[in-house]
Amino acid sequence: MYKLLDKVFGIVIKLLALFSLLLLAFIVLFIFKESVVFFKEVPVLNFITGRRWNPLKSPNDLSIFNIILGTLYVSVVAIIIALPIGVGSGILLSTYIKGKWKIVIRGIIDILAGIPSVVYGFIGLLVIVKFFENTLDFSTGESVLAGGILLSAMVLPYIISTCQETMDKVYEEHSLSSKALGISKTYMVRKIVVPESRKSIIAATILALGRAMGETMAVMMVIGNAPIAPRLLGRAQTIPSLIALEMGMAEVGSLHYHALFASGLVLMIMLLIINIILYYIKKGIGI
Amino acid sequence: MLENIKSALFKIWITLSGVIVFFSTSFIFAYIIKNGFKSVNLEFIFGSPQGIPLGSEGGIFPAIVGSLFLMIIACIFASLLAISTSIYVVYYCKSLKIENIVHVIVQCMAGVPSIVLGLFGYTLLVVNLKLGRSLLSAGLTLGIMIFPFIQVRVEKIFREISSSIINSSYALGISKSYTFFKLILPICKSEIVSAITLAGGFAMGAAAPIILTGAVIFAPIPKSLSSPVMALPFHLYILTGEGISLEKSYATTLVLIGLLFIINIISIALTFIRKGVR
Repeated sequence: MYKLLDKVFGIVIKLLALFSLLLLAFIVLFIFKESVVFFKEVPVLNFITGRRWNPLKSPNDLSIFNIILGTLYVSVVAIIIALPIGVGSGILLSTYIKGKWKIVIRGIIDILAGIPSVVYGFIGLLVIVKFFENTLDFSTGESVLAGGILLSAMVLPYIISTCQETMDKVYEEHSLSSKALGISKTYMVRKIVVPESRKSIIAATILALGRAMGETMAVMMVIGNAPIAPRLLGRAQTIPSLIALEMGMAEVGSLHYHALFASGLVLMIMLLIINIILYYIKKGIGI
Repeated sequence: MLENIKSALFKIWITLSGVIVFFSTSFIFAYIIKNGFKSVNLEFIFGSPQGIPLGSEGGIFPAIVGSLFLMIIACIFASLLAISTSIYVVYYCKSLKIENIVHVIVQCMAGVPSIVLGLFGYTLLVVNLKLGRSLLSAGLTLGIMIFPFIQVRVEKIFREISSSIINSSYALGISKSYTFFKLILPICKSEIVSAITLAGGFAMGAAAPIILTGAVIFAPIPKSLSSPVMALPFHLYILTGEGISLEKSYATTLVLIGLLFIINIISIALTFIRKGVR
């Protein structure tokens, strides 16, 4: 009786595991299948390098170069703002703050990571965009910069926790010997902890980049959503926001519908590459 | 001398970044609580949306219930798959190569943006399988989203169990399934539930996957798996995006954050109970 049960359990586990792993293949395959229809009409190269997005006109007007640029631009701005702050707080948390406070602050940062992106978008719209418009007198507050600032707050927890994990280890390893040698703490942190954590800082950057590029709601609410060439203080469009905004309007099976799948495919390929790189970097440093 | 200046600059840098993180976090919470507190009352929590445009008056009860239903479906679906995958990787898989492949795949799934999952859910579940925009489609899509999140944590929990207990069980000739249900599961039950709860909070806050697969502007409390639902994040997006009512947006945000906070507390408490027993 138990033997049979054991066998059944084993088979069920294996099947469910296989199914979960196939899910990724399903996702890629489905998005790919729907995009192929589009690529039959519009060559891949035209789609990626063209600068016009106008789903109501001819198929040649469906291209997303500006939108890809917008996606990258916002994410890079976010990383530039978030990286120094995140790495700094990571160092602070792993070397200077101890005991109860460390747990409390880590908890707060974890909660920060748990705030839904739509709430970030809401706050961004009411605080950042309003600030740009009213206080700084910009013609439009909805801009790449607003999106970048907002995204930087959203990716901070990822950067802090990735950095801190390694820095904790490095610090513990060397703190006793550096104390014995009478080296000042700041000097030791600067010369040993930071250089030793180089790889995890890179991993944090890549992780944050991936998260920032795939972020939908928050960015969509503050970036203005205009498929034009992105400027720091002008409106732009990102691939996720394009899909979220237009999918509801696109008729199933129309060229517009397939074009949105094609942009989803482009986004997913970029992110899969980022994640595979991330996996190998993480494996290299053992976290 | 130069080293001293460098050290001072370094200290300023890390202190400043800590201060920025602290203040931005407190600002976000203070902002939501200060503005939302005025308009949250029992009537708002237990009422249905009313007014023209819809949502400018009344409450958000159907959205709260909808969000909870979505979370439950997502958790059941995701944890079933995630726990099975973890059991497979930790107790059945013998080849390191397969283990690595599983890890790469899970990592990639964690990196698939939520809107692409929404797109996938839309074609497969809504259009191809004809489930329509419904509780089921949206719940399953959210489940796919939180699957990697649960899998990574559960696998870590399994690996932390000392292998000597499991090996002695095997050595006594006890079968794998019996060992799992009678030995491994009781040890780490509450930690697994804690991981699932945390993931549930994550699913509850996500708006992008459900925009295409199930969330609608107004629906009564869902009666079956195939009825469309209201969800808090989507409701907030509509209220803000369409500029319906700022006051209600603040209140909705506060309720959403409050619910997530409760879920987080439950999750943390579950881990602590476990630690206390040990």
